[in-house]
Amino acid sequence: MPGWEQLIYLLEGVPLTLSISIISFLIGIAIGLPLAFTKIYEKEIAFVVDAYEKIFRGIPEIVLMLLFFFGLGPFFPTPFNNAFFVACFVLGLRSGANQSHIYRGAIRGVGDEQMLAGTSVGFSKWRAIWYIMIPQVFTFSTAGLGSEYALLIKDSAYVYVLALLDVTKRADQLRINTGDVTWYIIAALVYIALTFPLAFALDRWGNKRKNKIGL
Amino acid sequence: MSDWLTNPLYWNWILQGLSVTVEITLFGVLLGLILGTLLAVGDIYGRKALRAAIAVYVEFFRGSPLFVQVFIAVYAIPPLLNIQIDHLLLAFFVFGLNSAGYQKGYIKGAMQTILDDQMQAGLSVGMSKWQTLRYIILPQAYRIVIPSWTNEFCSLTKSTAVLATVGIKDLVSAGISIKGIEYVILPVWLLIGGIYLVWITGFSKIMDRIYEKYKIPGIELDMQS
Amino acid sequence: MTDYVMEAKHVYKTYRIKGEKKGDVKIVEAVKDVSLQIRKGDIKLIFGPSGSGKSTFLRCMDMLDIPDKGEIYLGDECLTVKGLDLNKARARIGFVFQHIYLFRHLTALGNVELALRQVLKLPKEEARKRAMAALEEVKITDCINKYPAQLSGGQAQRVGIARAIARQPDIILLDEPTSALDPELTGEVIDTLRDLAHEGTTMLIVSHEMPFAREVAEEMIFYDEGHIIETGSPMGFFNAPNTDRAKQFMDRIINRTTR
Repeated sequence: MPGWEQLIYLLEGVPLTLSISIISFLIGIAIGLPLAFTKIYEKEIAFVVDAYEKIFRGIPEIVLMLLFFFGLGPFFPTPFNNAFFVACFVLGLRSGANQSHIYRGAIRGVGDEQMLAGTSVGFSKWRAIWYIMIPQVFTFSTAGLGSEYALLIKDSAYVYVLALLDVTKRADQLRINTGDVTWYIIAALVYIALTFPLAFALDRWGNKRKNKIGL
Repeated sequence: MSDWLTNPLYWNWILQGLSVTVEITLFGVLLGLILGTLLAVGDIYGRKALRAAIAVYVEFFRGSPLFVQVFIAVYAIPPLLNIQIDHLLLAFFVFGLNSAGYQKGYIKGAMQTILDDQMQAGLSVGMSKWQTLRYIILPQAYRIVIPSWTNEFCSLTKSTAVLATVGIKDLVSAGISIKGIEYVILPVWLLIGGIYLVWITGFSKIMDRIYEKYKIPGIELDMQS
Repeated sequence: MTDYVMEAKHVYKTYRIKGEKKGDVKIVEAVKDVSLQIRKGDIKLIFGPSGSGKSTFLRCMDMLDIPDKGEIYLGDECLTVKGLDLNKARARIGFVFQHIYLFRHLTALGNVELALRQVLKLPKEEARKRAMAALEEVKITDCINKYPAQLSGGQAQRVGIARAIARQPDIILLDEPTSALDPELTGEVIDTLRDLAHEGTTMLIVSHEMPFAREVAEEMIFYDEGHIIETGSPMGFFNAPNTDRAKQFMDRIINRTTR
């Protein structure tokens, strides 16, 4: 049965899991926001956004990680030989695609009139976006972003294939060393503990907002 | 160097791998649909105990990575039941159970957009609650849910990539085999990635057309991720 | 053996609305000791200020809302008895909703046919014949294969009426059938109701369409704050209501109606 030392070994994977998800999330914002606004407000290059989203919706993250780490690693060792980098890179790009979709919905929710008002007081298109749209867009996106973040925590498990010692890999090690399969269940519970507070808070926030709007 | 690309043996592996991937995804989504519907109906009409059980189920499958769920299925279930089970079969079930957790949310959401008024209308013509669910609510809910369903299919397809780690001969596994022999790494993964891309994008386009054809004019589900 | 098609006896219904803040609950006494009898061929109209609870009372008649106290009778059958199969009873009552509530995934014809097949269990041919007959009665003939989203408000509501009469119910209950429609479209619905009335259909209508009331209703019932305040003939109400509240209401209404 589980010993304390082993449990601690498992939990030592949490910081890795969290750091991968947080960094990927931030990369996702940095990519997703510009993509979303570009698709709506710069129609001529909107197809680039579409292509980008299609790629990351259509190729498994694991394949991308294997591609970058084992495929590009030998040629560009500096970034791509680092498993941590590759993980955050791939998940960040993927998150950018998802977040772009989320922000587009939020932009539509905020409404074009806000842009109109912004340009009418003298802002250029992109300054209006920065000062007026982006702050509002974030308020509208919290539900989607919350679930995207939870997704990143779960997808961080993919780094297993890069042999990074995150929670999943450690649970696997523990199972191999002790023959005890309950370590996987404990690992699952750890992930749930990381994602649950978010889901719960989102649910209540969502219901409150619904009551406010009168649904 | 690139004559590996024309080697029929490799293409055989690739096609086999692709078919395994597709099978698992389809089975998973279908099982998820059936089970998800039961969960959604149970969540709307069930008593507190049932709703609590459903909540725990959903939280487990949505809160932990599918990767870990696969490990649990493959390494914990057979010894528990004391029999050998083919990993592929276990994969079918784990994917189905996982998908049900997500689909319950989509289906319940779709049902609730129309539930109040359509249920009243159904009752008013003398149909029972279950008749109304069967002939009026669910047919509409399934059509509303198609975009989320397409999303779920794509997501599940991508997740099948983890199955190579438990020895299932899927598309990723085919890639590993090829690169192990030929020592061409980047091109192989580009090819494998490309195949996934074509398959998923193609499927999405078809589902989009189906949605356009069958969607109910006048209702769109409020798309919140 | 009762004479009445439907009867309500001392019905009470209260419901709660959650307010904005936590713990804020508004209690609405929509139906307070209301009794009503309806005979075959009656055409009664319930009218009154909005929020008075008239719609709630009507829905209680069809057991779409369950009364807190009191009894509802459909012929000799008591609907408020526990454990009764309400579906069978509702099959004998036709209900028309203010917001129409057509089955969105079915065509107009499909909407009318569905209950004939699934509730009355009629075979396909017969169900189709009766559905077509009902649609002809409401003068919908050329858009029977259209979907609700493609119909105008007036057409949709007429399909709703067809859906209600197709089962040849004992009585038809109509909850503000024209209130959600644009003014130009109410005419066609009112014409349909007038035709039904002339054919002797038993109807209980909640409405504030005064012209229709004057022409077609045999008895008008003024309803306010959960009670039936006054009943009488349309002539009586339009010329000289007995109670003050009715008088006030009629003054306001008549000044607004410009026909």
